[in-house]
Amino acid sequence: MTEAHLVLDHLEKRFGAGPPAVASLSLDVRKGELLGLLGPSGCGKTTTLRMIGGLAEATAGHILVGGRDVTTLPPHKRDMGIVFQNYALFPHMDVAGNVAFGLEMRKRPKAEVRERVERALEMVHLQGLGHRKPRELSGGQQQRVALARALVIEPSILLLDEPLSNLDAKLRDEMRTEIRDIQQRLGITTIFVTHDQVEALAMCDRIAVMRAGLLEQVGTPYEIYETPATPFVADFVGRINRIDGERDGNGEIVAGPFRLRAAKPGRAGKVTVMVRPHRIHVATDAIGPEWNSATGTIRRATYVGDVLACEVDCGGATLTVERHTHPGLPIPRGGEAVTLAWRVSDTLAFDRPAALSADAP
Amino acid sequence: MGRILFHVLVAAMLVFLLAPVILVIPMSFSADRVLMWPPSGFSLKWYAQIANERGLIEAARNSLVLAVIVTAATLAISLPAALAIDRWRFAGRDAILALLTAPLLLPTIVLALALLIIFVGYGLLGTWIGLMLAHMLVTLPYGIRVLSTSLSTLPASVEEAAASLGAPPSSVFRRITLPLMVPGLVATCAIVFLVSFDEVVISLFLVGPQLTTLPVALFRYVESRTDPLVAAVSTLLVVFSLAIVLVLDRAVGLRRAVGK
Repeated sequence: MTEAHLVLDHLEKRFGAGPPAVASLSLDVRKGELLGLLGPSGCGKTTTLRMIGGLAEATAGHILVGGRDVTTLPPHKRDMGIVFQNYALFPHMDVAGNVAFGLEMRKRPKAEVRERVERALEMVHLQGLGHRKPRELSGGQQQRVALARALVIEPSILLLDEPLSNLDAKLRDEMRTEIRDIQQRLGITTIFVTHDQVEALAMCDRIAVMRAGLLEQVGTPYEIYETPATPFVADFVGRINRIDGERDGNGEIVAGPFRLRAAKPGRAGKVTVMVRPHRIHVATDAIGPEWNSATGTIRRATYVGDVLACEVDCGGATLTVERHTHPGLPIPRGGEAVTLAWRVSDTLAFDRPAALSADAP
Repeated sequence: MGRILFHVLVAAMLVFLLAPVILVIPMSFSADRVLMWPPSGFSLKWYAQIANERGLIEAARNSLVLAVIVTAATLAISLPAALAIDRWRFAGRDAILALLTAPLLLPTIVLALALLIIFVGYGLLGTWIGLMLAHMLVTLPYGIRVLSTSLSTLPASVEEAAASLGAPPSSVFRRITLPLMVPGLVATCAIVFLVSFDEVVISLFLVGPQLTTLPVALFRYVESRTDPLVAAVSTLLVVFSLAIVLVLDRAVGLRRAVGK
């Protein structure tokens, strides 16, 4: 494991009175890593990005890049490339002028600027568009210019602030792969702010989930999805069923109509049980000590092509169940009785009073 | 139905606003010795007569010079002021903006009287510096308003992007902020120039025998004479103002600059 390239050390941002926008955030980002800051709007992820880029002042704490403290450096001395949500292209300059700006500020010779601008535009597949004005480009093209402009200066860190949120769905998928490709090819340390969990799961080496200025969990996409540290993470990343219940001294959980066992043992007391819809099997004979099971009646079935989602009323609790479709799959009707089963290892249980703190998973 | 009514209303308002201006134009071509409607015949003699009015020409030159100086000075003050008001969060920011806009809310006649009383004590009556200060009292609020509108429509992220690319604040201002403010700057110049060039109430109180402005000279002229010469001068002024506005609109889009 390589050494941390970017270190956030108890970083804090307060706007006036009230709770801080970012509270004592500590995070290590390795060289060449793509780290996602994921959370709902207002969780402090953009503020964190702005502090790293020097666009917002940290109220407390430190930011280190390659061991050097940059906390109080102004943005123009930080050597970071930023791609903004609205692209923030210079409307009075053409595409080449936009991309050349950072190199001109670095006083590079004209010939070198021209050559590097050309290469940068090639990298984002915009060769030949150097003389267009930003307003003559489509959203996706503007996005590419913004990326080229940030990368051409070969910054020590690349900061992406919701770069895909203004693109339509198809283009978003395309840019997702492309940004990831370029990032890996250049091996550039990147912070990626997003509220889209699919984006984060698909692109990032590691994800930091934030909520109300606090770090909830840091981990690989697999860890975040399979072993969420808190109910919030479980709920925010992917769809999930949630049932409140109580755990007895033997580790058995009574939650609504269910008697369950969870993946990990825990203290007796109030718990929140969570299980992902696609991990629940319908009408199987998979019964045994490693399975939890329940019976219920189908209230509604929704067919959306690749997925069939059923709401199952289990007498006091409703579970959403999802399965992949195939030709010939019968679409159940409402009122049908079903048996459900899911693995104990897919059953997440969180102690309820203590569940909000970001304890180790 | 609603649309038609709306168009009729707009047309009526335009007629109401423009009628006096439009009426002046045929009257300026009158062949009569006094201003009357309709003129009994048409000629260009009153335009020719303007050349003989030394006083008016002198006053027009004064007005032009004054308007240019006032425009330059207003720009020099309102650009930094607008930057400070828009960019810095400081105590009393709103109060200062309100204070700077206040002169527009006072009746001009009150302002003029107050200036007269103050200027007497400092010997500023009938001086260039006195007129310049008085005009700027009225033009500064316009300048600061238009420029801060222009600044506030400029997305902060564009400047932040420039900074992140290695541009120190002075370069950000020179390469990004200023070029993007051009429409606002041009609009400010146009408005301030026309306000100063057109100013009559305050000037009336502050001019002296050695120094008068065109609107004041015209006002005095009408007091003593009633021939169509004023209509000819007015027509020239209308054409002059219109030309400025049209050129600007073509060049930068005035409507965009005022930030409608």
